[in-house]
Amino acid sequence: MNAPTQTALEQAIAQLIIDTLNLEDLQASDIPPAQPLFGEGLGLDSVDALELALALQKRYGIRVESDAKNAREHFATVANLAAYVASQQGAGDGAH
Amino acid sequence: MIDLRIERWQAWAPGLDNAAAWQAWAQAPHAVSDDGKLQPACAFLPAMQRRRLSRLARMTLEAAWPLCDDGEQLPFVFASRHGETTRTLALLGDLVDEQPLSPTQFGLSVHNAIAGQWSILREQRGESVALAGEADAFEHAMLEGTLQLAAGAPSVLVVVAEELPPPAYAEWIDDVPFSYAVALRLGKTTATGEAPTTTDWQLQPGRHDDRGTPCAWPHALDFLRALLVHEPSLEHVWKARRWNWQRSR
Repeated sequence: MNAPTQTALEQAIAQLIIDTLNLEDLQASDIPPAQPLFGEGLGLDSVDALELALALQKRYGIRVESDAKNAREHFATVANLAAYVASQQGAGDGAH
Repeated sequence: MIDLRIERWQAWAPGLDNAAAWQAWAQAPHAVSDDGKLQPACAFLPAMQRRRLSRLARMTLEAAWPLCDDGEQLPFVFASRHGETTRTLALLGDLVDEQPLSPTQFGLSVHNAIAGQWSILREQRGESVALAGEADAFEHAMLEGTLQLAAGAPSVLVVVAEELPPPAYAEWIDDVPFSYAVALRLGKTTATGEAPTTTDWQLQPGRHDDRGTPCAWPHALDFLRALLVHEPSLEHVWKARRWNWQRSR
């Protein structure tokens, strides 16, 4: 079965994950958009989630509140993260 | 008088990653070139477990790993005078730029972080100590190791590690000629079954009143040198402290 192709944003986020979390020997294409990032999937943990939230804030200027109910869902996969980033960017920069 | 046995040793510095290379270094000690980038592979760990290890942590693990057998529990003594200078400088840079701090950098910049990572990655559940000392941090670490032996541990792991600090520290730190980690596995001299490769030493701490010449090399490297060239004794002085090493077997 072929892995679904990544959108440009998904590829950028996969690369951000690799660079931020220092995942040696991985390329963006090695993280399929639908693969779970945490636990049994890629194997990230809660410290990675904090680091990733910081990287998203620096790169895309979006804030992910740690107590947000749907934070877990936003962070579940590269595809979810890309959708969340796109929706926040679409919402405009003047939200805060 | 403090008695201890060196059961095994392992060390890492740029370009010095095996016993033969260290033997050659001990015959003709010199400052090896250190570009600040070359680091041990820690190939015994999966990539996902290596991702948070700093260069200093990698050096420590690379040296310590083979001295602890699988399934063995050993008290762990980590000593470093300067610690994670690279992480610290990165955090200070973020503060100056008014950037949020990386949780990973922050959490792992503390002095006992490497001992904690050793505990997790080598599945060690016993005592661990992180020391910061002056030029004789090595002797203080060895003293701590012998205290662990006296408290009942059959063997103890002592690691002294320093990373060449970023250039910003050059004005204040002049005692790290190159990055290095020296790991020594200590045992009791009364233990039977000593292998030909083990050596027994007596350490005598004393008062030092003269303005003596400090050792040309970091004490851990100088001790390793003496061990490898079979020197019968050596003396390290620092401020009011005199550390006399005598080989007893």
